[in-house]
Parts: sequence; structure tokens; C-alpha cells
Amino acid sequence: MVFEPFEDESDFEVLADKLSDPDPAVRRVAVMDLADTADPEAIPMIASAIADESAEVRLQAAIALGEFDGLEAATALCRALQDSESKVAQAATDSLSELKDPDAADPLLALTSHENPKVREGALLGLKQLRRPDALANGIEAMKDPVAAVRIQAVGVVGYLKAEEALPALIACCRDEDPDVRRTSVGALAFSKSSHAKDALLTALNDEDWAVREIAAEVLGKFAIGTSIDPLIALLDDPYWQVRVKAVRSLGKQRVVAAVARIGAQLGEPVSNLRKEAAAALGEIADRSALSYLENLVNDPDPDVRKNVRWALTQIE
Amino acid sequence: MPIANTPTTVPVVVDEDKCIADKGCTVCVDVCPLDVLRISDLTGKAYMKYDECWYCMPCEADCPTNAVTVNIPYLLR
Amino acid sequence: MDDLRAGLNEVDCDLLVIGGGTAGPMAAYRARKKNPNAKVILLEKANVKRSGAISMGMDGLNNAVIPGHSTPEQYTKEITIANDGIVDQAAVYKYAQNCYGIIEELDQFGIRFQKDENGEYDVKKVHHMGTYVLPMPNGDTVKKALYRQLRRARVLISNRYMATRLLTGKSGRAAGAIAVNTRTGEFLVIKAKAVIMCMGAAGRLGLPTSGYLYGTYENPTNSGEGYSMAYHAGAKLANLECFQINPLIKDYNGPACAYVAGPFGGYTANSKNERFIECDYWSGQMMQEFYNELQSGKGPVFLKLNHLHKDTADHIEHILHTVERPSRGRFHEQRGTKYSEQMIEMHISEIGFCSGHSASGVYVDEFARTTVPGLYAAGDMASVPHNYMLGAFTNGAIAGEHAIEFADDVDFDDFDDAATSLEQERVLAPTRRDDGIPPNQIEYKIRRLVNDYLQPPKVTAKYELCQARLAEVRHDMETQMMARDAHELMRSMEVASILDCADMAAFASLYRTESRWGLYHWRSDYPGSNDVDWKCHVLLSQENGVMTCEKKDVAPYIIPIGEDEKDAYYKQRITAQA
Repeated sequence: MVFEPFEDESDFEVLADKLSDPDPAVRRVAVMDLADTADPEAIPMIASAIADESAEVRLQAAIALGEFDGLEAATALCRALQDSESKVAQAATDSLSELKDPDAADPLLALTSHENPKVREGALLGLKQLRRPDALANGIEAMKDPVAAVRIQAVGVVGYLKAEEALPALIACCRDEDPDVRRTSVGALAFSKSSHAKDALLTALNDEDWAVREIAAEVLGKFAIGTSIDPLIALLDDPYWQVRVKAVRSLGKQRVVAAVARIGAQLGEPVSNLRKEAAAALGEIADRSALSYLENLVNDPDPDVRKNVRWALTQIE
Repeated sequence: MPIANTPTTVPVVVDEDKCIADKGCTVCVDVCPLDVLRISDLTGKAYMKYDECWYCMPCEADCPTNAVTVNIPYLLR
Repeated sequence: MDDLRAGLNEVDCDLLVIGGGTAGPMAAYRARKKNPNAKVILLEKANVKRSGAISMGMDGLNNAVIPGHSTPEQYTKEITIANDGIVDQAAVYKYAQNCYGIIEELDQFGIRFQKDENGEYDVKKVHHMGTYVLPMPNGDTVKKALYRQLRRARVLISNRYMATRLLTGKSGRAAGAIAVNTRTGEFLVIKAKAVIMCMGAAGRLGLPTSGYLYGTYENPTNSGEGYSMAYHAGAKLANLECFQINPLIKDYNGPACAYVAGPFGGYTANSKNERFIECDYWSGQMMQEFYNELQSGKGPVFLKLNHLHKDTADHIEHILHTVERPSRGRFHEQRGTKYSEQMIEMHISEIGFCSGHSASGVYVDEFARTTVPGLYAAGDMASVPHNYMLGAFTNGAIAGEHAIEFADDVDFDDFDDAATSLEQERVLAPTRRDDGIPPNQIEYKIRRLVNDYLQPPKVTAKYELCQARLAEVRHDMETQMMARDAHELMRSMEVASILDCADMAAFASLYRTESRWGLYHWRSDYPGSNDVDWKCHVLLSQENGVMTCEKKDVAPYIIPIGEDEKDAYYKQRITAQA
């Protein structure tokens, strides 16, 4: 007896019939089968299901299009993004974030000023990964959006494009009223090596939100901050140890000898993560003035602290 | 020696009102890496036939109608 | 469904890839890319959509060698040290050089890696020497993305076929495989010019402490068929005494993922809230420290996140509960544990073979070639140590490209038809009995014996007892195991692999008369390591059906390890003790 040992080849005629079945559950299964073919021929058929009368079928189609890429899939997803059912729109947003083909950006660019903020948010999320230079203007415009969630996605688009001309807009967003927008914007400054970006980061070290201060301290570690280190050293008084960890780490990377005593003081902190990072930073700075601090910690109860102390001592010697 | 049928409570539960296996859906059965789900001849709905579960959840995550729930096997709970 | 039917079909192909998990799809895909005219078959006992160790997904890479963060040389050194020097560096170095290209390719497939606000890979620092952790925020889509690529590359996918034996040609080359359908019991004979095995770990060897047969660390579908089939085909297997033992969440048996929590400041602590692990590497040494702490008065051991800011702890909890093993959220919910509030009890896993986490695998060189011509292996079952998921992808790609080139140059190697009929009889034997022992009972017994006698510390007298008991079970299996349908038939074949692996684990462990790799090979009768006699690989194979072991020199290092680097490591060493 002979049997077929391989997965079925896609039979689009059969699937087309199922897609016009009166039973929405059957249409739904057809959409899943079409997605499984992974064949671009399936895109127009799935796209037609975006207009199905059943929300369940539309939902399945929005999920299925995430398996494809390019202009045609993006156009259909843009329709789904405007669906009256929020679950369909959400699925379209998720699928848009999977796009990679820059051609897919065209229909998205038209939606960044749509009246519905969810649509604007989804369109910007999709645009981010595509890194199309002509999306920069849309991104900068949307950074002034009244809805914070939209502004976060706009910062994403602009941050991925790493364009110096967007710097004023990004810096403005570092003063946004919403802490998540500020945090994202501060993170997005990492690409720039300009003094404006550095100043914005130094300002962000005094942000009222600890997570913003934390990321600012981290990003500053990547800059040549030269003489402006005092605000970073001042951060060692921060009430949040998580912020101090980042400050310590960046001071270590910058090999700031002037900070040795202040970093050494962190070695007495009860949180072992902080002691560990402080020891590592003293090793990176590798100044003899750190010896007295480190030698006190050779017998720290925490093995990771001890290891970093040992390492730091070898760096100094 | 005769074989006994020892009862065991199985971790995967299917909501028959939501399940569309009778409409041609086989997603949960397909995606189970241990192949322990089947579609019942009696009801046309999916069910767990063998208690050999890694509670890995593709059956639940991939089910288009959210009909499947994976519980933690009792022995581990 | 599941009713047994008689049936036999024969197909041929240029390249047969067995196993549709991680390495297998990559091997098949790359082979088709390299030679679009080649006929490539991917055989899988479940369904490639969600099969293998990363069925549900993966939350990050922990061995990503990314320019600017670490170098292939640095990585090769670390793996050499983590593996107590017993490493043929060529394969590790080749992995380290190739893996960044694979990351970029996976990114193109739609598998997203964590990026910062400028779209650069957001590599996390874990310790001084290198930086290898790269989170995967949508790691739950890995299998979907792979499946898409397989369909587009028109790889012939053959689901629900479980390979049971390799076919060896008259000239000694790998000539294909015989497989049985897990829903019907029909046979498929696949003639191939080259074969790649990507059949995963032997994860159903030890019994989890919960007693639930399928509550294993590894996906239990990975029951060691690759190890068993390679053995029967005459391939050599390396360092099987270097067991896999992993830290995990107590009872849940999911990974503890300290490497996910590490970059955020989480760590492994004892019951006094203190860190205790000295070792920098995920290694047998680290597991020894873990084991000692569990046995000491300072146990049990915990994953500690409750000192972090609640937002951070919740964020880690979210990653751990949504991607790789999402049911762990449900487990903790039932127990009422919140990562931001309580420490999470951990334990150590049952034993297994898995090169992905340790070093036990079918011996392969830097082109993924086994010692049998035309036979390749990649992923958790191949001997490249500490390879994890990215290693499976990378070495799968290497295997696929090399094997399809090999297949281009050769013709089919004829095999003895009697071998296929003999194998059908062996496979079907449990279905010919209407009275006997079901496979689950035989499996339970083997795995209970593995726990009683084989898990470390390894004691010679216990090992010898175990060998005698396993021989009795083998007799029962061969004369009394009974399968009533095709599904039970699949389980019967898995049991046979599990027993082969148990025998190999015992035999290889007895051969190496020293202790090495921390807990992985801790022999109480030989507590010290002995570099003079044992700084070498141990290769296990069969000669005329009899199991045998031999020593193999470690290949000269490509990347030398300085004396000071060795010292830094040995200073951290602690000796085995209960």
C-alpha cells in the first residue's frame, strides 16, 4: 500500500471554496490554512477576509497577515487597524510590528495623523522596524501628539533612524510630562555624540522619575563626558540603589579617578549588587587610592563581591 | 497479565462550546509535541487522550477560539 | 486514529534531516538554499510547527558572540575552561565565528532580539570576561518563523514519522533511515545520500522528583533516539559520562533562568538570602556548588528577585512567564508566589544527555560530521559543548551546507533489504503480543533505577548493580513489552532508546576512573581529577554488538589558554563533598 508521506501542497481552489463557506468557523479555519501555506499567493485571499462580516474571521486574518510581509499585506493590515472591533485592531498592531520590508511603509505613513490614537500608535509601531528615512517627518510630528502612547511610538521611529536633525525634537521629549516618554527619549539619545545630547542627559540625571535617572546614568557611560562628571558623581546620593548602580558603572567606564572615594563609600551598602558594581568600577578606574576600600572587602559574605574585589585588585597591581 | 485502567486527572481541558474541531480545525492536535490530543469521534471536539503532558502550552496559545486550558499536572502542583 | 495498519512506502532524497526542532529545520533550509535542485526531506515524529526543545519558544540567547561585546577567541577560551579543558576547539571556534551571521538571519526571519531605542542589539552584561546574553522579547514566535521558511524553501516535510534505525550502505556510508508512522504504524523507508541527525537531548533518562514521567527539564519528546540510533549505526559518542544536570524551579521543572534575571540584578541565593555560587560559568562546577548548598544546612536554594524594585521583578516575571515555559506563571499563581515578594525555591534536575548544556553527544567535528561517512549530527545531541539554542541553529546550518555538498558528489549507497524487514519486525514486536507489560511501566522502572543508582555521586558498586538490573529490564522489554495502538508503539520505541541511553550512561561513567566536570562526573571512589590519564575525550561505540570505550586525545588548542587564565579558574574550584 502506498501513502503520501509529505505535508500537503497548498490547494488554493479548495481553500477559496472554504473561504466563502456560509459557516464563519469554516472560513476561519480556511484563513489559518492559508497562513500555513506561507505562499505570497495567499495574501490577497487573506486580505479579502479582512472585510469578512464575522469579527472572528477578521481577527484570524489580521493574525495571519503577520506571517507575510510587503506592501500588499501592510495595506490589508492598515484596514484591519481601523476595525471597529478592538481585538481585530490589536491583532493588526501586533502583525504590523512583524513587518520588515521597507515597501510596507507606504500605507502606514498615511495613518500617523489618523483621528483614532490607537491607529496612530499602531502605524508608528509598524514604521519603527522599517527604518524608512521618509518616516522621520511623521515621527517628529507625532512626537507632539496629545496621547502619550503615540508619542512613545513616535520616539521609537525617530530613535531607530538615528538622525542628528531629529535631536531637538528628541531633546524636547526628554522634558515630556509622561515619564515613559522621557525614559524612551533619553534612551534614544545614545546614538548621538553631540554636546546637546550630553546636556540633555545631564539634565535627565535630575529627573523626578528614578527609571529616567537610571537610563540617563547608563547612557552617559557611552559618552565622552569630559569635565561634566559632577552631576554623575552627585547621583551617588540617589535614594534608589538601582540608579546608583548605573552611575557607578558609568563612572567606572569613564575611569573617573575623582570619583574613587565616593564609589568606595558604596562598598558599605547592604545591597550586594551595588557593592559588586562598585568593586568592578574601582577595578576599571585602577587607581591606587582605591586599595584601602577594596582590601576591606576581601572577605565580603557575597562571592560575587569577593570575585570583583579580587579582579579589581589585580587591575590596580 | 490483565491490563487495568487506572484513573488519572489530565491537565488539558477543552471548552466544547468554543472548540471548532468539528469545523475542520486541528490546530491543538497538530501542535502538541507529545501528540496526546485527539478529536473525539463522538463529539467532534478535541480532548486529551493520553496523560503525557509537558504543560508547554502551544495547544492553548495557538487555539484560535481560546477553547483550550492547560493546567499544571496534579503531581507537580 | 491510532489503529495499526500494515503499510510500507519507499522514497529517496539527496539529504534526509531527522528531527524538526531547532537544528533540523535550519539544516534543511540551508541545504535547499545552497542547492535549490536538491531533494531534502525533513522527518519529524511530531509536527515541525511546534516540535523540539523550543516548542513554545525561548526567552533569550545566552551564548551570543556579537562584535563589540565579545570575540570568538574569548568565547572559545571560556567554553574550554568551563569544560575543564576537554574541548576540540575547532568546532567551538567555528560556532563562535558563525553565530552572529545566524542571529542576523534569524532577525530577518522575524525572530526579534531585544534592541535598544536606537535599534542596536541590547546585549546584557553578566560577568567580566564576556557579554553573551541577548533577550528575545518575541521568542514565542521562533517555531512559527522557522516553519514559514521551510515552506518557502520547499523542504519536503514529513510529520508523524519516527525514525527507528539508520540504514547503512554496503560501503559503510549512511544510506538513509527507516521510520514508523506514529498514528498508523505504517513504515517509511527513506534512501538518502547523506543524513543529518538533529534529534535532541536524551531528556527522559532520569525521573523528575515529582514522579511525573513527563515533568522533565527537557521536552520529554526528546527521549534520546538520536543517541541510540547513532550508537546502533556504529557512530562514536563522546563524553557521555558528562551528564546534563540543570538548576530549575522546584517541582515545576522549568528552567530557573538566572541568566535572564542576572542582568537585572537577580541571583541564586541560599536560605540566608546570600549568594553562594563562586563559579562564573554554567558548568558542572557550578552545579556541584548548587548541590553542596542543597545538601548543607543552608539549603534550600532560591531564585532571588525580591530585593529588586517591584517594577523590575514584575518585568522579569513577565518575561519568564510568557515566553519559554508560560505555564510557570500558572504554577506560581497556584502556589501564591510572586517574584517581587518571595524568593522562588529551586532544585536540580534529573540527569540526561545534552551537549547543549554540558558535553555529552554524538562525536562531531567542525563540519558536524560524525565518525560514520555521510552521517552528520547537530544540536543538543552532537558533541559541541555548551551550545544551547543558538548553537543548534548555527551548527545545523553548517551541517546542512556541508552535507548537501557531500551528497552532490556521491551516489546512493545500496543497503541490505533484509535490514529493513528485520527492523520492521523489531519495531512491531510489541504489537504482536496480546498480553504483556505496557511501555509506561517499563519506562518508569528504568528511570527509577537511573535515579536510584546512576545520578551523582557516582558509586562503582551502585553502578554495577544498576547494570545488572537494567539487563533484567531489557529482557522484559524484549520479551513482554506490549503496544495496543500506534501511539503506544511510539512510546515503546522511545523506551528502547531510554534504556540504551541508561546503559551508555553507566558504561561511560565506569570507564572514566576520575572525577571531572564538577557534579556531572563526580565519582566517589575516584574523587580527584587526574589530568595525566584522563585529560582526554572518552568515545563510546559498539564493536560487533558489544559496548566499548576508548580514549581520544584533545585536539591541540587553536586558542591557547594562558597559565594565569587557568589559575583564575582553579582558584574558584571547590572540591566535591556532600
